Amino acid sequence: MESRFDVIVIGAGHAGVEAARAAARMGCRVAICTLSEATVAHMPCNPAIGGTAKGHLVREIDALGGLMGEAIDATGIQFKLLNRSRGPAVRSPRAQADKRRYGAWVAEALCREERITWVVCRVGGVLVRHGRVLGVDLETAGGEAGGETLHARAVVVTTGTFLNGLVHVGRRRTPAGRAGEPPSQRLAESLKALGLPWGRLKTGTPPRLHRRSIRFERLERALGDEQPVPFSFMTGRIDRRQIECHQMHTTERVHEIVRANIQRSPLYNGQIEGIGPRYCPSLEDKVMRFPHHERHQIFLEPEGVDADEVYVNGYSMSLPVEVQESLVHALPGLEDAEMMRPGYAVEYDFVQPTALSRSYEAKDVAGLFLAGQVNGTSGYEEAAGQGVLAGINAARAVACEEPFVLGRDEAYLGVLADDLTTRGCLEPYRMFTSRAEYRLLLRIDNADLRLTERGREVGLVDDRRWARFQDRRSRFEENARRVARTTVTLADGNRARASQALRRPDVELEWLARGNELRLEVAPGEEREDLWSVETHFKYAGYLERQEATIERARRLEHRRIPASFSYSSLPGLSREIAERLTETRPDTLGQALRIPGVTPAAVALIGAKVSA
Amino acid sequence: MFATDDTIVAIATPPGPGGVGIVRVSGPGAIGIAGRILSTSSRLAPRRATLTNALDPVDRRPLDRVLATYFPGPRSYTGEDVVEVSGHGSPVILRQIVTAATAAGARLAEPGEFTLRAFLRGRLDLVQAEAVHDLVTAVTPRQARVAFDQLEGTATAAIGALDRVLFDLVARLEASLDFPDEGYHFIDARAAGVEAASLAARVHDLIVSAQRGRLIRDGCQVAVAGRPNVGKSSLFNQLCGVQRAIVAGAAGTTRDLVTETVDLGGIPVTLVDTAGIRTTTEEVEAEGVRRARAAVDVAAAVIVVLDRSRPLDADDWALLEETAGRPRLVVVNKRDLRAAWSPAVEPRMAACGPVLETCLIDGSAATAIRGALLQVLEGGTPIRDTPAISNVRHIDLLGRAERALRRASAAAAGGASEELVLADLEEARRALEEISGKRTPDAVLERIFEQFCIGK
Repeated sequence: MESRFDVIVIGAGHAGVEAARAAARMGCRVAICTLSEATVAHMPCNPAIGGTAKGHLVREIDALGGLMGEAIDATGIQFKLLNRSRGPAVRSPRAQADKRRYGAWVAEALCREERITWVVCRVGGVLVRHGRVLGVDLETAGGEAGGETLHARAVVVTTGTFLNGLVHVGRRRTPAGRAGEPPSQRLAESLKALGLPWGRLKTGTPPRLHRRSIRFERLERALGDEQPVPFSFMTGRIDRRQIECHQMHTTERVHEIVRANIQRSPLYNGQIEGIGPRYCPSLEDKVMRFPHHERHQIFLEPEGVDADEVYVNGYSMSLPVEVQESLVHALPGLEDAEMMRPGYAVEYDFVQPTALSRSYEAKDVAGLFLAGQVNGTSGYEEAAGQGVLAGINAARAVACEEPFVLGRDEAYLGVLADDLTTRGCLEPYRMFTSRAEYRLLLRIDNADLRLTERGREVGLVDDRRWARFQDRRSRFEENARRVARTTVTLADGNRARASQALRRPDVELEWLARGNELRLEVAPGEEREDLWSVETHFKYAGYLERQEATIERARRLEHRRIPASFSYSSLPGLSREIAERLTETRPDTLGQALRIPGVTPAAVALIGAKVSA
Repeated sequence: MFATDDTIVAIATPPGPGGVGIVRVSGPGAIGIAGRILSTSSRLAPRRATLTNALDPVDRRPLDRVLATYFPGPRSYTGEDVVEVSGHGSPVILRQIVTAATAAGARLAEPGEFTLRAFLRGRLDLVQAEAVHDLVTAVTPRQARVAFDQLEGTATAAIGALDRVLFDLVARLEASLDFPDEGYHFIDARAAGVEAASLAARVHDLIVSAQRGRLIRDGCQVAVAGRPNVGKSSLFNQLCGVQRAIVAGAAGTTRDLVTETVDLGGIPVTLVDTAGIRTTTEEVEAEGVRRARAAVDVAAAVIVVLDRSRPLDADDWALLEETAGRPRLVVVNKRDLRAAWSPAVEPRMAACGPVLETCLIDGSAATAIRGALLQVLEGGTPIRDTPAISNVRHIDLLGRAERALRRASAAAAGGASEELVLADLEEARRALEEISGKRTPDAVLERIFEQFCIGK
């Protein structure tokens, strides 16, 4: 096998595949190392993509030229636009995936990339000399140290929960990255030896049930949208038949069983030290921490069109198998359900991402990038978002180009990178729309208008996407011009400039365009997208104008770069505590410095005076 | 961070009343702003004091007769262009000048910001800039303020309470956006709009009371009351240190209210001399008595003057009755004359609080009266003045919060969706947090997770 590459990606999960493909598209020769070809872009937990804010991430990944959006559009089996009744900035797509097909689709997409080489092997360590990455050491087929060495100028670590992973089911503990898959201990040691700061987190997953053993007729149906809204700007229309999910609630009987067996839960008997996500509580936590709640929601989600496994969303637990059985059977409609796999909790090591710069490169090891759950995040979308940026930046590092960093006012991807690297993780990090201070700007309808040109500049957007985008952007611009200059008659008979009328909550562009005063350009099959982005542009205009000054001020601070060698301890006037914190995080810009917890505006003013001097 | 390239303004002299107070404007726009708030037609000459008027930039109404001096940078306190406006020391007037400057484009300086700028531009060495260190370490503006008097503390507590209500509202509305399919009904936009309107009203009340609070602090009124010809005007003049009120042997000499502001241990006290209170049919005197009673009613404290040389009558007792329970000093005058009664043996005087026996003819009593009055005003706890600027800042921030809350409620009533209502609520929240202390960016999510069982 060829042993010299430009970029080596360790892991072929959602982060790894995006990183590998992005780097390959940008001209790099890429090796992607995976433990098994069967688990490429695997969904070990919820078989779904998207959700509030996560759907935004997928749109942005797609707008930059990433994979995830097209993958889910091609293999989704139930689509739903969340927050449909609310404003356009917080609408977000979500879809159930056919888990097997999703993975296969992504694997195939990567196989089409000529510059990608598959390496099915466990990586035993990262090779670093003089603060620079040289490549990776593989383990032997027998799992021993001392396999082949692969060389590359950049290495992207996307090992998810595999670093010192430990799976808990009741009192039984098994070292594993995911149930049934051995963890990566040597690689973990090798990364620790580089001096990166570590922490330990925990996450969990529910039991899976056999579809044929569930009495669906007794359950409430949960349906998707009649007309799916696709994730990808490349997908015109989705006409696939959609499946049904089902909905139910926990019962008092369930809560009794949990309470009676709580000491057998690794979460409650002291067996688990890692910190779990509060937004994704286990059943144990739901019952014990919210005793006044009579019931909790559960969704039954098929893992594919023809898959036997059904995912019990909302029922994650790590109790002993026999307790899990009785908890499943205690639910109405599941009395005879066959549990195919028990739920479990997994503890794993993660790198505190404050050790990374916003390009996801380790500050102390040139060429070493980390992306995905290994950085303390949770979620396939968060992983993929980091992956695509880490891949872009790995390729740019190879080409000796400046890092590609998105701002907080440009993308959720920018918020993600900035939050992680500035503040680090105390619990698994999940994206929420409330994390984005410029939420009104970061919408799914304008993700391409915000990012596709940037993706084209770095070389990730191919000609097909670029041509389609240019058409769409010129329609948008033309329509915006027409809306700005056309006067229309409103329902109440008054006449107003269309752009002003749209600022009213009850005025819709579609309605205005129905008269013959306002004519708009729409592409067949994309009418909805075309109207939607113009309408939202004007609906939010008043608010965005008001935010503009704030955004501008923030931008100015973002443009004030702090040299990596800046010495905080020698800056007079700065307290030692703040100097230490700044030295630890080493912010790239004044803006980032200001967001570091405990760093005061006055401190940043001091640095600012020094930096400009 | 503080911008370091805009123009800032604040009162530069120590808080509290003084003979002269200085408002300092520093930054590139200093001279332009001076042009808009001063009546002088010509440009200020460098380093030369110019006598002129400070104006309200909106209606050009004169605020005070002032001396303005322009110090071009870098040879100025901060190293930037600085204009210093010296006005009469009343905190009220100084604040009006500051407000005029902000209306003309200056930004209110953060506490310590002049010093920070001076330090940044090399005008101060590190020892002098010790304050900068404290400022850098302080996480919130509130912490940055060293002295915090009780009035301010009370106002901040009230703002803190509003801030918590607003924060909770924001958290619920954010939850409704980020967790739409959790089976919770957190709150909808319309209901949030109604809550925002009620918050706006409460913020408005606070602004009104803050302004009232300013008056209390800027000058508390003390009324001098008593029957005719007991020596009220003599007492008034002695406290003023000048012959402000006409003193005569005839009863009823003072017909209208006479006021004078004096410095009493750092507190600006406006003394009000009143007409002698007695039953009368004479029209002008009756009006004087009516005004006297009104002055007694609104005063923060009352000095009741009694005459020891004549027996107490029904009017005396009525006045003591009316002012019972209020901060009050009883001065028993005319100790030099033969006593018709004595507070020591008058049993009903025992319940009258502090009583001072004195003679107001020769002026030797002034110090004793001042000391006794100060004790009455301070009510046992010393009153400290606060950095004057904080109050203007607070009112400014509260005003911003109120406007944002009103926009939020109007938008919600008009059918705007949650994220738009939130845009305004967040702005209001930021303004209130400037006063009550900033939260971490994760605070909203933390609040949601603590209150609701979220997630699958």
